[in-house]
Amino acid sequence: MSEFELLRNVAIGQYLPRESVLHRLDPRVKLLGTILLMAALMGQRRPAMLLVGLLLVGGLFLLARAPLGHALRGLRPLLPLFFIVLVLQLFFYPHRQAVAAGSPALWQWGRFVLSGEGMIALAAMLLRMAALALVLTLLTSIADVTGLVHGVEGLLRPFQRLRLPAHEVSMVLVVALRFVPLLTREMERLMKAQAARGADFGRGRGGVIKRVRRTFPLLIPLFITTLRRAEELAVAMEARGYVGGKGRTHLVRLRFRPADLLALGVAAGASVGLFLVNLGPAERAVIDWLRHLLSGP
Amino acid sequence: MSAPQPLIEVRGLDSTYMRGTPLETVALRGVDFTVYPGEMVGVIGPTGSGKSTLLQHLNGLLRPQAGRVRVAGVDLSDRRAGLRSLRLRVALLFQNPEDQLFERYVADDVAFGPLSLSLPLEEVRERVRRAMEAAGLPLQVYRDRLTFSLSGGERRRAALAGVLALDPQVLVLDEPLAGLDPAGRRELVSLLAGWHRREGRAIVWASHSMEEIARLADRVYVLAEGRVVLEGTPRQVFARGDLLAACGLEVPAVTQVLLELAQAGLPVRTDVLSLEEALPVLEALLA
Repeated sequence: MSEFELLRNVAIGQYLPRESVLHRLDPRVKLLGTILLMAALMGQRRPAMLLVGLLLVGGLFLLARAPLGHALRGLRPLLPLFFIVLVLQLFFYPHRQAVAAGSPALWQWGRFVLSGEGMIALAAMLLRMAALALVLTLLTSIADVTGLVHGVEGLLRPFQRLRLPAHEVSMVLVVALRFVPLLTREMERLMKAQAARGADFGRGRGGVIKRVRRTFPLLIPLFITTLRRAEELAVAMEARGYVGGKGRTHLVRLRFRPADLLALGVAAGASVGLFLVNLGPAERAVIDWLRHLLSGP
Repeated sequence: MSAPQPLIEVRGLDSTYMRGTPLETVALRGVDFTVYPGEMVGVIGPTGSGKSTLLQHLNGLLRPQAGRVRVAGVDLSDRRAGLRSLRLRVALLFQNPEDQLFERYVADDVAFGPLSLSLPLEEVRERVRRAMEAAGLPLQVYRDRLTFSLSGGERRRAALAGVLALDPQVLVLDEPLAGLDPAGRRELVSLLAGWHRREGRAIVWASHSMEEIARLADRVYVLAEGRVVLEGTPRQVFARGDLLAACGLEVPAVTQVLLELAQAGLPVRTDVLSLEEALPVLEALLA
Protein backbone atom coordinates (compact mmCIF):
# COMPACT_ATOMS: atom_id res chain seq x y z
CA MET A 1 0.00 0.00 0.00
CA SER A 2 1.17 3.47 -0.66
CA GLU A 3 -1.16 5.73 1.26
CA PHE A 4 1.75 8.12 1.78
CA GLU A 5 3.27 7.96 -1.70
CA LEU A 6 1.89 11.25 -2.96
CA LEU A 7 3.87 11.53 -6.19
CA ARG A 8 3.08 8.12 -7.57
CA ASN A 9 -0.12 8.91 -9.43
CA VAL A 10 0.77 12.18 -11.04
CA ALA A 11 2.20 11.79 -14.52
CA ILE A 12 1.81 15.39 -15.64
CA GLY A 13 4.99 17.08 -14.54
CA GLN A 14 7.00 13.89 -14.36
CA TYR A 15 10.18 13.85 -16.40
CA LEU A 16 11.00 10.57 -18.08
CA PRO A 17 14.72 10.28 -18.64
CA ARG A 18 15.10 8.49 -21.98
CA GLU A 19 17.25 8.67 -25.08
CA SER A 20 14.93 9.65 -27.88
CA VAL A 21 14.60 11.95 -30.85
CA LEU A 22 12.15 14.09 -28.93
CA HIS A 23 14.29 14.30 -25.83
CA ARG A 24 17.19 15.64 -27.87
CA LEU A 25 15.24 18.57 -29.28
CA ASP A 26 16.00 22.15 -28.33
CA PRO A 27 13.76 23.00 -25.36
CA ARG A 28 12.52 26.08 -27.18
CA VAL A 29 11.24 23.82 -29.92
CA LYS A 30 9.60 21.54 -27.39
CA LEU A 31 7.77 24.54 -25.92
CA LEU A 32 6.80 26.10 -29.23
CA GLY A 33 5.67 22.78 -30.61
CA THR A 34 3.51 22.21 -27.54
CA ILE A 35 1.98 25.66 -27.85
CA LEU A 36 1.24 25.12 -31.54
CA LEU A 37 -0.35 21.73 -30.97
CA MET A 38 -2.41 23.00 -28.08
CA ALA A 39 -3.64 25.99 -30.06
CA ALA A 40 -4.66 23.73 -32.92
CA LEU A 41 -6.45 21.33 -30.59
CA MET A 42 -8.26 24.15 -28.86
CA GLY A 43 -9.48 25.57 -32.14
CA GLN A 44 -10.64 22.23 -33.48
CA ARG A 45 -14.33 21.40 -33.16
CA ARG A 46 -14.71 18.21 -35.16
CA PRO A 47 -14.44 14.99 -33.13
CA ALA A 48 -12.90 13.09 -36.04
CA MET A 49 -10.10 15.62 -36.39
CA LEU A 50 -9.56 15.68 -32.64
CA LEU A 51 -9.23 11.92 -32.78
CA VAL A 52 -6.57 12.41 -35.43
CA GLY A 53 -4.85 14.87 -33.10
CA LEU A 54 -5.09 12.38 -30.25
CA LEU A 55 -3.50 9.68 -32.40
CA LEU A 56 -0.80 12.12 -33.40
CA VAL A 57 0.03 12.77 -29.76
CA GLY A 58 -0.02 9.03 -29.13
CA GLY A 59 2.50 8.64 -31.94
CA LEU A 60 4.69 11.26 -30.29
CA PHE A 61 4.63 9.23 -27.07
CA LEU A 62 5.91 6.25 -29.06
CA LEU A 63 8.59 8.47 -30.52
CA ALA A 64 9.57 9.58 -27.02
CA ARG A 65 9.79 5.89 -26.05
CA ALA A 66 7.37 6.46 -23.20
CA PRO A 67 5.30 3.48 -22.04
CA LEU A 68 1.57 3.72 -22.69
CA GLY A 69 0.78 3.39 -18.98
CA HIS A 70 2.69 6.58 -18.32
CA ALA A 71 0.59 8.50 -20.83
CA LEU A 72 -2.64 7.10 -19.44
CA ARG A 73 -1.68 8.05 -15.90
CA GLY A 74 -1.58 11.60 -17.17
CA LEU A 75 -5.30 11.32 -17.85
CA ARG A 76 -6.26 9.92 -14.49
CA PRO A 77 -6.49 13.22 -12.57
CA LEU A 78 -8.84 14.46 -15.31
CA LEU A 79 -11.43 11.74 -14.82
CA PRO A 80 -13.59 13.75 -12.40
CA LEU A 81 -13.46 16.66 -14.82
CA PHE A 82 -14.55 14.38 -17.67
CA PHE A 83 -17.49 13.33 -15.59
CA ILE A 84 -18.52 16.91 -14.85
CA VAL A 85 -18.31 17.84 -18.52
CA LEU A 86 -20.35 14.79 -19.41
CA VAL A 87 -23.11 15.78 -17.01
CA LEU A 88 -23.08 19.41 -18.10
CA GLN A 89 -23.23 18.55 -21.78
CA LEU A 90 -25.99 15.98 -21.32
CA PHE A 91 -28.29 18.13 -19.25
CA PHE A 92 -27.43 21.73 -19.94
CA TYR A 93 -26.61 21.83 -23.64
CA PRO A 94 -29.42 23.63 -25.51
CA HIS A 95 -30.53 20.37 -27.13
CA ARG A 96 -34.05 21.58 -27.87
CA GLN A 97 -32.91 24.62 -29.78
CA ALA A 98 -30.48 22.43 -31.72
CA VAL A 99 -33.24 20.03 -32.67
CA ALA A 100 -35.50 22.93 -33.60
CA ALA A 101 -32.72 24.20 -35.85
CA GLY A 102 -32.65 20.90 -37.70
CA SER A 103 -30.25 18.68 -35.78
CA PRO A 104 -31.50 15.08 -35.47
CA ALA A 105 -32.92 14.08 -32.11
CA LEU A 106 -31.13 10.94 -30.98
CA TRP A 107 -33.22 10.13 -27.96
CA GLN A 108 -36.27 11.62 -26.39
CA TRP A 109 -37.94 11.12 -23.06
CA GLY A 110 -40.61 13.59 -22.14
CA ARG A 111 -39.19 17.07 -22.36
CA PHE A 112 -35.66 15.68 -22.35
CA VAL A 113 -33.96 15.49 -25.76
CA LEU A 114 -30.45 14.56 -26.87
CA SER A 115 -29.49 16.31 -30.09
CA GLY A 116 -26.94 15.00 -32.54
CA GLU A 117 -25.17 18.31 -32.49
CA GLY A 118 -24.94 18.27 -28.70
CA MET A 119 -23.43 14.81 -28.68
CA ILE A 120 -20.84 15.83 -31.27
CA ALA A 121 -19.91 18.82 -29.14
CA LEU A 122 -19.63 16.53 -26.12
CA ALA A 123 -17.37 14.09 -27.94
CA ALA A 124 -15.24 16.97 -29.19
CA MET A 125 -14.90 18.42 -25.73
CA LEU A 126 -13.85 15.14 -24.11
CA LEU A 127 -11.40 14.36 -26.88
CA ARG A 128 -9.97 17.85 -26.73
CA MET A 129 -9.42 17.67 -22.98
CA ALA A 130 -7.76 14.28 -23.26
CA ALA A 131 -5.51 15.46 -26.07
CA LEU A 132 -4.50 18.63 -24.25
CA ALA A 133 -3.66 16.71 -21.09
CA LEU A 134 -1.61 14.26 -23.12
CA VAL A 135 0.30 17.04 -24.86
CA LEU A 136 1.23 18.51 -21.49
CA THR A 137 2.20 15.11 -20.12
CA LEU A 138 4.36 14.62 -23.19
CA LEU A 139 6.07 17.97 -22.78
CA THR A 140 7.03 17.29 -19.17
CA SER A 141 8.09 13.74 -20.05
CA ILE A 142 10.56 14.87 -22.68
CA ALA A 143 11.78 18.10 -21.09
CA ASP A 144 13.35 18.32 -17.65
CA VAL A 145 12.71 21.38 -15.55
CA THR A 146 16.03 23.06 -16.26
CA GLY A 147 15.59 22.56 -19.98
CA LEU A 148 12.07 23.93 -19.89
CA VAL A 149 13.12 27.01 -18.02
CA HIS A 150 16.01 27.62 -20.38
CA GLY A 151 13.48 27.30 -23.15
CA VAL A 152 11.16 29.84 -21.54
CA GLU A 153 14.04 32.21 -21.07
CA GLY A 154 15.12 31.76 -24.68
CA LEU A 155 11.63 32.43 -25.95
CA LEU A 156 11.20 35.48 -23.72
CA ARG A 157 14.53 37.02 -24.63
CA PRO A 158 13.18 38.95 -27.64
CA PHE A 159 10.81 40.71 -25.26
CA GLN A 160 13.66 42.10 -23.20
CA ARG A 161 13.48 45.17 -25.39
CA LEU A 162 10.12 45.76 -23.80
CA ARG A 163 11.82 45.64 -20.39
CA LEU A 164 10.61 42.14 -19.64
CA PRO A 165 13.11 40.61 -17.18
CA ALA A 166 13.43 37.31 -19.04
CA HIS A 167 16.11 35.86 -16.81
CA GLU A 168 14.39 36.76 -13.56
CA VAL A 169 11.10 35.33 -14.76
CA SER A 170 12.75 32.05 -15.65
CA MET A 171 14.67 31.97 -12.37
CA VAL A 172 11.47 32.41 -10.38
CA LEU A 173 9.95 29.62 -12.44
CA VAL A 174 12.82 27.24 -11.92
CA VAL A 175 12.87 27.83 -8.17
CA ALA A 176 9.13 27.35 -7.89
CA LEU A 177 9.19 24.15 -9.92
CA ARG A 178 12.20 22.79 -8.08
CA PHE A 179 10.40 23.26 -4.78
CA VAL A 180 7.38 21.20 -5.78
CA PRO A 181 8.94 17.74 -5.42
CA LEU A 182 10.91 18.91 -2.38
CA LEU A 183 7.78 20.05 -0.61
CA THR A 184 5.88 16.95 -1.64
CA ARG A 185 8.58 14.76 -0.18
CA GLU A 186 8.68 16.89 2.95
CA MET A 187 4.90 16.59 3.28
CA GLU A 188 5.14 12.83 2.90
CA ARG A 189 7.78 12.69 5.60
CA LEU A 190 5.74 14.84 7.98
CA MET A 191 2.59 12.83 7.40
CA LYS A 192 4.48 9.69 8.26
CA ALA A 193 6.20 11.24 11.25
CA GLN A 194 2.94 12.51 12.73
CA ALA A 195 1.12 9.29 11.89
CA ALA A 196 3.87 7.50 13.81
CA ARG A 197 2.88 9.64 16.78
CA GLY A 198 -0.75 8.66 16.49
CA ALA A 199 -2.09 11.37 14.19
CA ASP A 200 -4.99 10.22 12.09
CA PHE A 201 -5.42 11.86 8.70
CA GLY A 202 -7.73 9.28 7.24
CA ARG A 203 -11.10 9.71 8.85
CA GLY A 204 -12.93 13.01 8.46
CA ARG A 205 -14.78 13.06 11.74
CA GLY A 206 -15.39 16.22 13.73
CA GLY A 207 -16.38 19.75 12.84
CA VAL A 208 -14.57 22.21 10.63
CA ILE A 209 -12.42 23.58 13.43
CA LYS A 210 -11.40 20.11 14.50
CA ARG A 211 -10.48 19.20 10.96
CA VAL A 212 -8.49 22.38 10.43
CA ARG A 213 -6.68 21.76 13.69
CA ARG A 214 -5.73 18.33 12.42
CA THR A 215 -3.68 19.91 9.64
CA PHE A 216 -1.58 22.00 12.04
CA PRO A 217 0.94 19.24 12.74
CA LEU A 218 1.64 19.20 8.99
CA LEU A 219 1.28 22.80 7.94
CA ILE A 220 3.30 24.47 10.66
CA PRO A 221 6.46 22.37 10.21
CA LEU A 222 6.02 22.54 6.44
CA PHE A 223 5.93 26.34 6.53
CA ILE A 224 8.97 26.51 8.74
CA THR A 225 10.96 24.12 6.57
CA THR A 226 9.94 25.95 3.42
CA LEU A 227 10.96 29.34 4.74
CA ARG A 228 14.25 27.94 5.96
CA ARG A 229 14.89 26.26 2.62
CA ALA A 230 14.15 29.48 0.74
CA GLU A 231 16.49 31.41 2.98
CA GLU A 232 19.25 28.84 2.57
CA LEU A 233 18.77 28.90 -1.17
CA ALA A 234 19.07 32.69 -1.28
CA VAL A 235 22.25 32.59 0.78
CA ALA A 236 23.70 29.77 -1.30
CA MET A 237 23.01 31.69 -4.51
CA GLU A 238 24.55 34.88 -3.21
CA ALA A 239 27.54 32.98 -1.86
CA ARG A 240 28.19 31.81 -5.39
CA GLY A 241 28.06 35.32 -6.74
CA TYR A 242 24.55 35.42 -8.12
CA VAL A 243 23.52 38.98 -8.86
CA GLY A 244 20.72 38.56 -11.36
CA GLY A 245 20.43 38.35 -15.09
CA LYS A 246 22.60 41.11 -16.41
CA GLY A 247 25.68 39.88 -18.24
CA ARG A 248 25.03 36.33 -17.16
CA THR A 249 26.13 33.57 -19.48
CA HIS A 250 24.83 30.02 -19.60
CA LEU A 251 26.55 26.74 -19.06
CA VAL A 252 24.27 25.11 -21.57
CA ARG A 253 24.03 27.06 -24.81
CA LEU A 254 20.81 26.32 -26.58
CA ARG A 255 21.57 25.28 -30.10
CA PHE A 256 19.07 25.18 -32.89
CA ARG A 257 19.91 22.21 -35.12
CA PRO A 258 18.41 20.98 -38.39
CA ALA A 259 16.44 18.36 -36.50
CA ASP A 260 14.86 21.14 -34.46
CA LEU A 261 13.85 22.99 -37.57
CA LEU A 262 12.33 19.82 -38.94
CA ALA A 263 10.42 19.16 -35.72
CA LEU A 264 9.14 22.71 -35.60
CA GLY A 265 8.09 22.45 -39.23
CA VAL A 266 6.22 19.21 -38.58
CA ALA A 267 4.50 20.65 -35.52
CA ALA A 268 3.53 23.80 -37.40
CA GLY A 269 2.35 21.77 -40.37
CA ALA A 270 0.29 19.47 -38.19
CA SER A 271 -1.36 22.30 -36.33
CA VAL A 272 -2.09 24.31 -39.47
CA GLY A 273 -3.50 21.11 -40.96
CA LEU A 274 -5.67 20.51 -37.93
CA PHE A 275 -6.75 24.12 -38.09
CA LEU A 276 -7.55 24.25 -41.79
CA VAL A 277 -9.78 21.19 -41.81
CA ASN A 278 -11.87 22.95 -39.25
CA LEU A 279 -12.69 25.95 -41.39
CA GLY A 280 -16.28 27.04 -41.63
CA PRO A 281 -17.70 29.37 -44.29
CA ALA A 282 -16.79 32.51 -42.32
CA GLU A 283 -13.11 31.62 -42.04
CA ARG A 284 -13.02 30.59 -45.68
CA ALA A 285 -14.39 33.97 -46.66
CA VAL A 286 -11.62 35.68 -44.68
CA ILE A 287 -8.97 33.54 -46.32
CA ASP A 288 -10.39 34.19 -49.78
CA TRP A 289 -10.38 37.89 -49.08
CA LEU A 290 -6.74 37.72 -47.90
CA ARG A 291 -5.77 35.78 -51.01
CA HIS A 292 -7.54 38.34 -53.15
CA LEU A 293 -5.73 41.11 -51.32
CA LEU A 294 -2.32 39.50 -51.76
CA SER A 295 -2.73 38.69 -55.44
CA GLY A 296 -4.25 42.10 -56.07
CA PRO A 297 -3.04 44.69 -58.54
CA MET B 1 13.12 -22.99 28.37
CA SER B 2 11.48 -22.42 25.02
CA ALA B 3 12.76 -19.78 22.62
CA PRO B 4 11.09 -16.42 23.24
CA GLN B 5 8.39 -15.30 20.82
CA PRO B 6 9.71 -12.70 18.38
CA LEU B 7 8.09 -9.29 18.76
CA ILE B 8 8.65 -8.34 15.14
CA GLU B 9 9.05 -10.91 12.42
CA VAL B 10 9.78 -9.93 8.83
CA ARG B 11 9.99 -12.66 6.20
CA GLY B 12 10.86 -12.29 2.53
CA LEU B 13 9.92 -8.63 2.40
CA ASP B 14 10.09 -6.88 -0.99
CA SER B 15 9.45 -3.22 -1.50
CA THR B 16 9.43 -1.03 -4.58
CA TYR B 17 8.91 2.72 -4.72
CA MET B 18 6.81 4.31 -7.45
CA ARG B 19 5.69 0.82 -8.40
CA GLY B 20 4.18 0.55 -11.84
CA THR B 21 5.66 3.80 -13.07
CA PRO B 22 8.75 4.22 -15.23
CA LEU B 23 10.55 5.62 -12.20
CA GLU B 24 10.17 2.57 -9.97
CA THR B 25 13.06 1.78 -7.68
CA VAL B 26 13.53 -1.43 -5.78
CA ALA B 27 14.27 -0.71 -2.12
CA LEU B 28 14.07 -4.14 -0.48
CA ARG B 29 14.51 -7.66 -1.85
CA GLY B 30 13.59 -10.63 0.25
CA VAL B 31 14.53 -9.21 3.63
CA ASP B 32 14.29 -11.38 6.76
CA PHE B 33 14.44 -9.50 10.03
CA THR B 34 13.53 -10.37 13.60
CA VAL B 35 13.32 -8.43 16.84
CA TYR B 36 12.89 -10.17 20.18
CA PRO B 37 11.43 -8.40 23.20
CA GLY B 38 13.88 -6.22 25.04
CA GLU B 39 16.83 -6.50 22.69
CA MET B 40 18.79 -3.79 20.94
CA VAL B 41 19.05 -4.46 17.22
CA GLY B 42 21.40 -2.49 15.03
CA VAL B 43 20.72 -1.97 11.33
CA ILE B 44 23.67 -0.70 9.37
CA GLY B 45 24.07 -0.05 5.69
CA PRO B 46 25.19 2.66 3.33
CA THR B 47 22.84 5.39 2.11
CA GLY B 48 20.20 3.91 -0.16
CA SER B 49 20.55 0.39 1.21
CA GLY B 50 16.90 0.28 2.25
CA LYS B 51 17.29 0.94 5.98
CA SER B 52 14.59 3.60 6.18
CA THR B 53 12.23 1.56 4.01
CA LEU B 54 12.63 -1.45 6.26
CA LEU B 55 12.03 0.65 9.38
CA GLN B 56 8.85 2.12 7.94
CA HIS B 57 7.46 -1.36 7.47
CA LEU B 58 7.89 -2.12 11.15
CA ASN B 59 5.05 0.14 12.21
CA GLY B 60 2.85 -0.15 9.17
CA LEU B 61 3.64 3.17 7.51
CA LEU B 62 4.43 1.03 4.50
CA ARG B 63 2.48 -2.13 3.84
CA PRO B 64 4.33 -5.22 2.66
CA GLN B 65 4.01 -5.60 -1.12
CA ALA B 66 5.38 -9.12 -1.00
CA GLY B 67 6.47 -11.12 1.98
CA ARG B 68 5.20 -10.94 5.53
CA VAL B 69 5.53 -8.56 8.43
CA ARG B 70 4.17 -9.69 11.79
CA VAL B 71 4.24 -7.39 14.76
CA ALA B 72 3.17 -8.82 18.12
CA GLY B 73 1.22 -11.52 16.28
CA VAL B 74 -0.58 -9.11 13.92
CA ASP B 75 -0.01 -9.73 10.23
CA LEU B 76 0.37 -6.38 8.48
CA SER B 77 -0.59 -7.75 5.07
CA ASP B 78 -4.06 -8.07 6.53
CA ARG B 79 -5.99 -5.04 5.34
CA ARG B 80 -8.07 -4.99 8.47
CA ALA B 81 -5.13 -4.95 10.85
CA GLY B 82 -5.50 -1.96 13.15
CA LEU B 83 -2.54 0.11 12.10
CA ARG B 84 -3.05 2.94 14.50
CA SER B 85 -2.71 0.89 17.65
CA LEU B 86 0.29 -0.78 16.03
CA ARG B 87 1.95 2.54 15.32
CA LEU B 88 1.68 3.39 18.97
CA ARG B 89 3.18 0.08 20.04
CA VAL B 90 6.09 0.44 17.63
CA ALA B 91 7.23 4.04 17.82
CA LEU B 92 9.32 5.36 14.96
CA LEU B 93 11.60 8.35 15.27
CA PHE B 94 12.44 9.67 11.83
CA GLN B 95 15.65 11.16 10.57
CA ASN B 96 15.98 14.81 11.62
CA PRO B 97 12.88 14.52 13.79
CA GLU B 98 13.31 18.08 15.05
CA ASP B 99 11.59 19.21 11.83
CA GLN B 100 8.33 17.66 12.91
CA LEU B 101 7.77 19.77 16.04
CA PHE B 102 4.81 22.07 15.64
CA GLU B 103 3.48 23.19 19.02
CA ARG B 104 4.56 26.42 20.65
CA TYR B 105 5.58 24.81 23.90
CA VAL B 106 7.76 21.75 24.26
CA ALA B 107 5.45 19.93 26.63
CA ASP B 108 2.46 20.44 24.32
CA ASP B 109 4.36 18.87 21.51
CA VAL B 110 5.32 15.88 23.61
CA ALA B 111 1.66 15.53 24.62
CA PHE B 112 0.51 15.21 20.99
CA GLY B 113 0.90 11.43 20.91
CA PRO B 114 -0.72 10.62 24.27
CA LEU B 115 -3.54 13.08 23.54
CA SER B 116 -4.35 11.38 20.26
CA LEU B 117 -4.59 8.15 22.23
CA SER B 118 -7.48 9.80 24.12
CA LEU B 119 -5.95 8.96 27.48
CA PRO B 120 -7.27 10.62 30.62
CA LEU B 121 -5.60 13.96 31.25
CA GLU B 122 -3.83 12.78 34.41
CA GLU B 123 -2.26 9.92 32.49
CA VAL B 124 -1.20 12.27 29.67
CA ARG B 125 0.51 14.55 32.17
CA GLU B 126 2.32 11.68 33.80
CA ARG B 127 3.50 10.32 30.45
CA VAL B 128 4.73 13.72 29.29
CA ARG B 129 6.63 14.15 32.54
CA ARG B 130 8.27 10.74 32.29
CA ALA B 131 9.06 11.04 28.59
CA MET B 132 10.66 14.45 29.00
CA GLU B 133 12.62 13.18 31.95
CA ALA B 134 13.84 10.21 29.90
CA ALA B 135 14.82 12.53 27.06
CA GLY B 136 16.85 14.73 29.41
CA LEU B 137 14.42 17.64 29.31
CA PRO B 138 13.06 17.76 32.86
CA LEU B 139 9.57 19.18 32.85
CA GLN B 140 10.20 21.75 35.59
CA VAL B 141 12.91 23.36 33.47
CA TYR B 142 11.44 22.97 30.00
CA ARG B 143 7.72 23.29 30.70
CA ASP B 144 7.38 26.85 29.42
CA ARG B 145 10.20 26.88 26.91
CA LEU B 146 9.20 27.78 23.37
CA THR B 147 9.84 24.90 21.00
CA PHE B 148 11.60 27.11 18.51
CA SER B 149 13.94 28.62 21.06
CA LEU B 150 15.55 25.26 21.81
CA SER B 151 18.97 24.29 20.50
CA GLY B 152 19.29 21.66 17.78
CA GLY B 153 20.18 18.91 20.24
CA GLU B 154 17.36 19.88 22.58
CA ARG B 155 14.86 19.84 19.75
CA ARG B 156 16.05 16.38 18.71
CA ARG B 157 15.49 15.23 22.29
CA ALA B 158 12.08 16.93 22.40
CA ALA B 159 11.10 14.89 19.34
CA LEU B 160 12.42 11.77 21.06
CA ALA B 161 10.29 12.59 24.09
CA GLY B 162 7.33 12.85 21.72
CA VAL B 163 7.67 9.19 20.75
CA LEU B 164 8.72 7.95 24.18
CA ALA B 165 5.45 9.40 25.49
CA LEU B 166 3.65 6.73 23.44
CA ASP B 167 5.19 4.19 25.83
CA PRO B 168 6.12 1.86 22.95
CA GLN B 169 7.15 -1.80 23.10
CA VAL B 170 9.71 -1.14 20.40
CA LEU B 171 11.50 2.12 19.73
CA VAL B 172 12.65 2.38 16.13
CA LEU B 173 15.32 5.00 15.46
CA ASP B 174 16.39 6.14 12.01
CA GLU B 175 19.85 7.72 12.21
CA PRO B 176 19.19 9.27 15.60
CA LEU B 177 22.65 10.81 15.85
CA ALA B 178 22.93 12.33 12.38
CA GLY B 179 24.00 15.95 12.46
CA LEU B 180 24.68 16.16 16.20
CA ASP B 181 27.97 17.37 17.65
CA PRO B 182 30.07 14.93 19.75
CA ALA B 183 28.64 16.18 23.04
CA GLY B 184 25.11 15.92 21.69
CA ARG B 185 25.79 12.42 20.39
CA ARG B 186 27.18 11.25 23.72
CA GLU B 187 24.25 12.67 25.60
CA LEU B 188 21.64 11.15 23.28
CA VAL B 189 23.38 7.77 23.33
CA SER B 190 23.42 7.66 27.11
CA LEU B 191 19.76 8.73 27.29
CA LEU B 192 18.73 6.02 24.85
CA ALA B 193 20.84 3.36 26.55
CA GLY B 194 19.38 4.43 29.88
CA TRP B 195 15.80 4.17 28.64
CA HIS B 196 16.55 0.77 27.11
CA ARG B 197 18.02 -0.54 30.36
CA ARG B 198 15.35 0.94 32.64
CA GLU B 199 12.28 0.02 30.64
CA GLY B 200 13.61 -3.22 29.18
CA ARG B 201 11.98 -2.39 25.84
CA ALA B 202 13.42 -3.24 22.45
CA ILE B 203 15.24 -0.72 20.29
CA VAL B 204 15.89 -0.95 16.57
CA TRP B 205 18.67 1.43 15.69
CA ALA B 206 19.60 2.25 12.12
CA SER B 207 22.86 4.04 11.56
CA HIS B 208 25.89 4.26 9.41
CA SER B 209 28.14 5.16 12.27
CA MET B 210 29.54 1.93 13.63
CA GLU B 211 30.93 2.86 17.05
CA GLU B 212 27.61 3.09 18.89
CA ILE B 213 26.18 0.01 17.22
CA ALA B 214 29.30 -1.98 18.07
CA ARG B 215 29.06 -0.93 21.67
CA LEU B 216 25.32 -1.18 22.32
CA ALA B 217 23.64 -3.63 19.97
CA ASP B 218 22.85 -7.23 20.88
CA ARG B 219 22.49 -8.18 17.24
CA VAL B 220 23.34 -6.40 13.99
CA TYR B 221 21.88 -6.60 10.51
CA VAL B 222 23.91 -5.34 7.57
CA LEU B 223 21.87 -4.12 4.63
CA ALA B 224 23.24 -3.44 1.15
CA GLU B 225 21.23 -2.77 -1.97
CA GLY B 226 18.04 -3.89 -0.31
CA ARG B 227 19.35 -7.25 0.92
CA VAL B 228 20.49 -8.49 4.31
CA VAL B 229 24.10 -9.40 3.59
CA LEU B 230 25.17 -10.18 7.14
CA GLU B 231 23.51 -10.84 10.46
CA GLY B 232 24.89 -11.67 13.87
CA THR B 233 26.36 -10.31 17.06
CA PRO B 234 28.49 -7.17 16.67
CA ARG B 235 31.53 -9.36 17.22
CA GLN B 236 30.65 -11.68 14.36
CA VAL B 237 29.66 -8.85 12.06
CA PHE B 238 32.60 -6.54 12.61
CA ALA B 239 35.07 -9.41 12.22
CA ARG B 240 34.05 -9.33 8.55
CA GLY B 241 35.75 -6.04 7.78
CA ASP B 242 36.34 -7.13 4.18
CA LEU B 243 32.66 -7.70 3.48
CA LEU B 244 31.66 -4.46 5.20
CA ALA B 245 34.22 -2.54 3.20
CA ALA B 246 32.81 -4.06 0.02
CA CYS B 247 29.42 -2.67 1.03
CA GLY B 248 30.89 0.77 1.55
CA LEU B 249 30.84 0.54 5.34
CA GLU B 250 33.55 0.81 7.94
CA VAL B 251 34.31 -1.15 11.05
CA PRO B 252 35.08 0.70 14.30
CA ALA B 253 38.53 2.28 14.23
CA VAL B 254 39.96 -0.12 16.86
CA THR B 255 38.77 -3.15 14.96
CA GLN B 256 40.26 -1.71 11.80
CA VAL B 257 43.69 -1.41 13.43
CA LEU B 258 43.62 -5.03 14.54
CA LEU B 259 42.36 -6.22 11.16
CA GLU B 260 45.29 -4.51 9.49
CA LEU B 261 47.75 -5.98 11.98
CA ALA B 262 46.35 -9.42 11.27
CA GLN B 263 46.67 -8.77 7.58
CA ALA B 264 50.33 -7.92 8.11
CA GLY B 265 50.72 -11.44 9.50
CA LEU B 266 50.71 -10.70 13.21
CA PRO B 267 48.93 -13.14 15.54
CA VAL B 268 46.08 -10.97 16.89
CA ARG B 269 42.38 -11.46 17.52
CA THR B 270 40.20 -9.36 15.26
CA ASP B 271 36.83 -9.74 16.98
CA VAL B 272 37.52 -6.75 19.16
CA LEU B 273 35.10 -3.87 19.45
CA SER B 274 36.43 -1.40 21.99
CA LEU B 275 39.63 0.13 23.18
CA GLU B 276 39.35 -1.68 26.52
CA GLU B 277 39.28 -5.03 24.75
CA ALA B 278 42.05 -4.10 22.35
CA LEU B 279 44.49 -3.07 25.05
CA PRO B 280 45.41 -6.55 26.37
CA VAL B 281 45.68 -7.84 22.79
CA LEU B 282 48.14 -5.12 21.88
CA GLU B 283 50.09 -5.53 25.13
CA ALA B 284 50.44 -9.26 24.48
CA LEU B 285 51.71 -8.46 21.01
CA LEU B 286 54.34 -6.04 22.31
CA ALA B 287 55.49 -8.32 25.10
